[in-house]
Formats: sequence, structure tokens, C-alpha cells
Amino acid sequence: MKKVILTGSIGICLFSILFLLNGCSSAPPKPKVYTVEIKDMKFIPEDITVKKGDTIIWINKDMVTHDVTEEVSKAWSSGPIQSGGSWKMPVTDEANYYCSIHMVMKGKIELE
Amino acid sequence: MKNLKTSTFRTVMIMAVLVAFSIPSFAQQSKLTDPEIASVAVTANQIDINYAAIAKEKSKNTEILRFAETMSNDHKAIIAQAVALVTKLKVTPKDNAVSQKLNADAEKTKKALKAKSGKAFDKAYIDNEVAYHKAVIAAVEGTLIPATKNSELKELLQKAVPALKTHLEHAEMVQKSLSK
Repeated sequence: MKKVILTGSIGICLFSILFLLNGCSSAPPKPKVYTVEIKDMKFIPEDITVKKGDTIIWINKDMVTHDVTEEVSKAWSSGPIQSGGSWKMPVTDEANYYCSIHMVMKGKIELE
Repeated sequence: MKNLKTSTFRTVMIMAVLVAFSIPSFAQQSKLTDPEIASVAVTANQIDINYAAIAKEKSKNTEILRFAETMSNDHKAIIAQAVALVTKLKVTPKDNAVSQKLNADAEKTKKALKAKSGKAFDKAYIDNEVAYHKAVIAAVEGTLIPATKNSELKELLQKAVPALKTHLEHAEMVQKSLSK
């Protein structure tokens, strides 16, 4: 009887170790792609939370040209995005951004 | 000097009041057809492009120049969409009393702007932009959109409103910055 219990316990332990090892060796989650619409002179959503390495695509659905520019030090900018056009960027850091053509349009990228 | 400032202020205020009250009330009095509404929309956009051209010629202020460039590009983009739509709909914009009144008032404003220079010009230009955008928004929302029969033309006017409101907010921001 003791032998059966011992064998069962060892089996459970081995199964648990294999399960954990399998979990450790699996690949990290693939970066995701998020969309921000530029519509009615707003970034939609205005505030977006992503993981480092994810990509954001901004799509201009307005009649007029916009851009997407880091607000504090102008560290990055899309340049002009024509009506119907888009621009994408892999996210490396949090940022407050705005449209430098229409300076009252603002957005924010936050990291999970 | 004080008299000059008072006179400039008075001229700007008269221009602003004229613009703010004339467009909506005049447009409301006239029953406009869709071709006439298309003409009013194109005229109102072209007037602001013309004001921007004067600003780009006369101002040295970076904020004014950037704002004028945005007005010029955005209103050209709106006109392009309007022209594409009326071409598709086979509608010819029809000149009318409201378009004519807008042009007549704009001529007076252009004359007043051209007579100014330096900081007085910058102030007059941005004050007029604030008043003009308030008046155009009121006219588009209160009169033109409700009067428009064609759904695509109505949609185009509705799509222009957020751009006009953003222009107003931007103009007020520049106006506040210049008054410091």
C-alpha cells in the first residue's frame, strides 16, 4: 500500500515539474498591433495602454492632414499623414503626443 | 499712441461683431437650396484661405504663420472634398445673396487687415479668426445643415464642424498667447 502511495506521489511530482518546465520554455507572447483612429479631430482612443514592443497604427479618417508628434521633446514624429493615410510605430516608451498641425489634439501612450 | 490702440481695438471689435452676427442671421433669412448651400460652403472656406494669405504675407509671428498655414491647408482640403462631392452629384454651386454678403464683408475685413502691420496686424488677424469661426460654426450648425436636403452634402457639412471647432480652439489659444 505504502509503495502505491509513494509511486503516485512521485508521478504527481514529475508531472508538476514537467508542467512548470514546459511553462518556462514557452515563447514570450507575440507583440500586438493596436489601432488609433484620427477622426472628428480627435485621437480615438485618446489614451492607449500597450506593452513595450507592441505596435500602434494611427489611421487618419478626417478630411484634413494630421500628424502624430511626441509632445515634450519632439522625440519622434510621423510627419504629415494625409486624409485616408496611416502611420505605425513600435512602442518603446510611454509618451504624451499631439498633432503639431492642430495643437489642441492630444493623446497618450501608457505601458502595462 | 493711446488713440491708435483705441482706434485699432474699436475697428477689430466692429469687424468681429459684424462677422459674428451677419452670417447666421443673413443665412437664416434666406431659404437656401442645396446648390446655394454648396456655394456658401465653398465661399466661407475660400474667405478664410484669403485671410491666411494676407497673414502669411504680413506677419512675422511664428504662431500666426503656423496657424495661417493650417487654415490655408485645411480649408483647401474641405473645398476639395466639397468640389468632389458636387461633381459626383452633378450639382453646380449657385451664387446667391448669402455668398455675396459673405464676400462683401470679407472685402471690408481684408481692407482693414491690410491697413495694419506688426503686432496690431497679428491681433486683428487672430481676433477676426476667432469671430469668423464662431460665426461660421453657428451658421453651419444652425442654418446650413438643417436646410440641406441631400444626405451626402449634409454629411460633408457635419464632418466639417469638428475641424471648424478645432480651428476656433486653436485661434483662441493663439489669441491668449498674444495677449500675454
